[in-house]
Amino acid sequence: MTNTSIAYEFYQFMTEKNVLIAFTGHFDHLVTTSLLKYVRVKLKEVNSDPAIDRKIYSILVESIENVSKYSAKSSNEPIIAMLLLCKSDTHFTIITGNHLLNSDIPILREKLDKVLKYSPVELKKMYREQILSQRTHENSAGLGIIDIAIKSNNQIQYNFKLSTDDTSIYLFQTQINIFDK
Amino acid sequence: MESLIIEATEDSPKILFDTLSNRFVISGESRPENAGKFFTPVINWIIRFEETLSQRKQEKNIDLPLVFVFNLEYFNSTSAKYIKDVLLIIKKFVDQGYPFIVEWHYDKRDDDMLDAGNEFSDTVELKFEFVEY
Repeated sequence: MTNTSIAYEFYQFMTEKNVLIAFTGHFDHLVTTSLLKYVRVKLKEVNSDPAIDRKIYSILVESIENVSKYSAKSSNEPIIAMLLLCKSDTHFTIITGNHLLNSDIPILREKLDKVLKYSPVELKKMYREQILSQRTHENSAGLGIIDIAIKSNNQIQYNFKLSTDDTSIYLFQTQINIFDK
Repeated sequence: MESLIIEATEDSPKILFDTLSNRFVISGESRPENAGKFFTPVINWIIRFEETLSQRKQEKNIDLPLVFVFNLEYFNSTSAKYIKDVLLIIKKFVDQGYPFIVEWHYDKRDDDMLDAGNEFSDTVELKFEFVEY
């Protein structure tokens, strides 16, 4: 296949899925800030509800921070992180993807499953417990996921795709409905 | 005590703690790269302000309300922990009898920001005045 036909397929995918942002690379703070600036402009173009815009913005920031907290930093693999923001008639979808060490999966899976099975009332209780807990380097990641769960009505999915013997790709998806606030 | 002024950046809020007007305002967006580095001097300033409060009390000059304003467009979950720390200090001041008022400003279309204010108010057990814009 020629490069132009690959590009054409890519273009078709981006158009059909209504992809507003597709990014792969290293998420440092500068890149995040640039992406967020662009997201602000883009959301104003495609969406007329500022409450939803802010929800998306907030979930994007926490999702990106979630990526940097759960990346395979010490491995020799290059850090490949991905961000997708798509829009359908009924909802927005945010997906992040990044490599992490297989040995980190059980703890993360346990954390995520705990959040996913909670009701809105239980999520608020968890949020309060977390925010009042002693600050350490890692524990605010938990608060970020809980915050995403609260703001999206817990419409979270995740998946781990085995990549090498030592690492997997961690995919984290949130859906934000356009019509419920 | 000198007022504290920190200008806003793309990822950190504006701090304007004015000891003359007794208005202490945190406004804008808060997702600093290093939240600890940003908030520690802010929190230390508030802790040190207790001396000023105590001085004013001795001079019987403490009748005016002290207004603490949160006017945030967005804050991330790491900043939330520091906002809670700020509120816990204000709560302590209120319990000591200093006349602090906490105003929580929010865009009337932004239910999440209103919810966040209610959540903070319940968590630290401090009454907020909600101001919509």
